[in-house]
Amino acid sequence: MTQRAPESSSLADALDRILDKGIVIDVWARISIIGLELITIEARIVVASVDTFIHYAEEITTLEQASAEGELDTGGKIAIDEREETETRPKGTRTQPAT
Amino acid sequence: MSDNLYAYGVTPDDGSLAVDATGVDGSEDVSTVSHGPLAAVVSPVDDMDPERTDENVRAHDDVLRAVMVDAERTVVPMQFGMVFKGKRPLKNILRTGRPTFSRSLNDIDGTYELGVKLVAEEGATVDREAVAERVDERLAPVSVGTVENDLFSDRLVVNSSYLVERDEREAFDEAIDDIDEAYDALTLQYTGPWAPYNFVDVAIEAK
Repeated sequence: MTQRAPESSSLADALDRILDKGIVIDVWARISIIGLELITIEARIVVASVDTFIHYAEEITTLEQASAEGELDTGGKIAIDEREETETRPKGTRTQPAT
Repeated sequence: MSDNLYAYGVTPDDGSLAVDATGVDGSEDVSTVSHGPLAAVVSPVDDMDPERTDENVRAHDDVLRAVMVDAERTVVPMQFGMVFKGKRPLKNILRTGRPTFSRSLNDIDGTYELGVKLVAEEGATVDREAVAERVDERLAPVSVGTVENDLFSDRLVVNSSYLVERDEREAFDEAIDDIDEAYDALTLQYTGPWAPYNFVDVAIEAK
């Protein structure tokens, strides 16, 4: 069974999007008539996979510990096991429709 | 009436946008403020902090829908409550944020967002991963982006937002019908079109 809201929307969905998402502008930037210096933060890409993030975080922690304990030979190369990644579609990026 | 302007979103400016919708706090005066190639869709409000009533949330959505659907414009949506103290601060934002707004508009050009939820009956056994995979396989070819939203209930099997080109809307609707037929035991909730809230994530702060 389909519950459709074509060209309309459920209030719950509207609340979820409109109150929590979209462009946010600092109140000072909205009231100041002088040209303030502004910082723009764009979160354009999401982490490809949590596994990869955790994996690299662990590697970095290990390196930091080794460095702190003086065990790291900075002259040598550091090997990090590269895992094969499945293709992901980052937030807001386009992919061609499958043919 | 004060000079306060409630902003709904940013759209490319060609000087001809007319919006026929009632805005936040019942305003009948929805217009645009332009700077360079950009225009902000606005309406006058008394308060810098408008009430988060159901009516106001609906009005915010209605204005954006009028821009997207009726006027067939691409729009980068603002979060609820972005009120500016007159035109000057707003033009400052359009000027300084121009690269960001232009890039966002380019990313979502000619698209809008459609919401898809699949809901299971209480206590039903569903292979969630298989369903989610099959749904995405069917909808990915007729969309240009996907975001998986929070599964905030045990009964929620799929909760995704799809970025869909206007020209692909019919094909997307057909794909939705296919999914609905494939899963009799699940309720499909199909909403939109929305401004692409899940595909734009921008914060602008004063230094």
